[in-house]
Amino acid sequence: MKRILRRIKPLKKCEVKKMMGKNDENNFKTPEGYFDNFHEKLMGRIREEEEAEDLSFLPKSDGFTVPEGYFKGLDQKVSEQIKDGETKVISLKTYRKYFYGAAAAAAVFLVIFGLNLNPQDTVGFEDLASAEIDAYLENAELDLSTYELAEIVSLDEIEINDVVENTLESDNILEYLDENIEDIEELNLNFEDYE
Amino acid sequence: MQLLAEEALIDELKNPNTRERAFGVLVNTYKERLYWHIRRIVLNHDDADDVLQNTFIKIYRNIDGFKGESKLYSWMYRIATNESLTFLKQKSKKSGISDEELKTRMVENLEADVYFEGEEIQLKLQKALATLPDKQKLVFNMKYYQDMKYEEISEVLETSVGALKTSYHLAVKKIETYLKAD
Repeated sequence: MKRILRRIKPLKKCEVKKMMGKNDENNFKTPEGYFDNFHEKLMGRIREEEEAEDLSFLPKSDGFTVPEGYFKGLDQKVSEQIKDGETKVISLKTYRKYFYGAAAAAAVFLVIFGLNLNPQDTVGFEDLASAEIDAYLENAELDLSTYELAEIVSLDEIEINDVVENTLESDNILEYLDENIEDIEELNLNFEDYE
Repeated sequence: MQLLAEEALIDELKNPNTRERAFGVLVNTYKERLYWHIRRIVLNHDDADDVLQNTFIKIYRNIDGFKGESKLYSWMYRIATNESLTFLKQKSKKSGISDEELKTRMVENLEADVYFEGEEIQLKLQKALATLPDKQKLVFNMKYYQDMKYEEISEVLETSVGALKTSYHLAVKKIETYLKAD
């Protein structure tokens, strides 16, 4: 800065007039060849800054190891798992078959019980059946993957609150934003443009 | 893997006659990389082994659904990442503890883990990583310890390179502060 200031000489009146008339010229000067190697200098500075990001505080290894020969035996283990899985796999379609049967049986029972049921009975058959089905689905550990679920349930049938554990209240959203606000740059769609 | 070789492998994987052999090649090519990716999320070897096998089984079962819109490796990394995060979610649910509590316990368990040869600094690094949001932790591990390029990470995590650079930078700063504090 000092160097630049030293180079600014007081202007003579005639020079000021000349300047005011011609906007494309001014009295500021730059060191010789300043713009010629500007790009190189800038890149040098960027490289320097990158190198200056000293990561020596990070350990070279993070310390994880594996049992000896683990990777050698892995192929075998995976292909055995796949073969096992192929014989044991429970097709969802067979369940569907039972669903129709169960629905038919439930309908028949509903008609029979519906006719004979004491109206004072507080536990309805419908409640019992759906409770049992719920309990079955809860406990049977069908362990459906996201892929499998996506195959059988169409997108229209899923509400957001079916898949999130907590009801998506604005509190939850605010809490989420609060926790993740550090990544706000992710919201900036044109972030790369500023790189 | 070269692009052409990858395309040929995908064709073989989709053909029932060549599927098994091609899958062997796939497992051999990617087992170590996917293992380390998973291990750095679940920390424990036995858990990583389970998740890795599940990941390969998922890949095998769903290869027909692979549309080739992304590269094969990024699709597999994505499955591995999802499987690992789902595994941790299920684990915390089963133990009836919060995700944060689980992360703390996972790091504590490392001290007694025979497959963790870390010293104090490595343990402290894991403690620091446990405090980071999942995304920052993933980006840091993928960039620093798995030596992946931003473009590759971008395909796996479906996030722009710019946002990844920010996440990585934030992660490094937080880890530095954690490691240097005493």
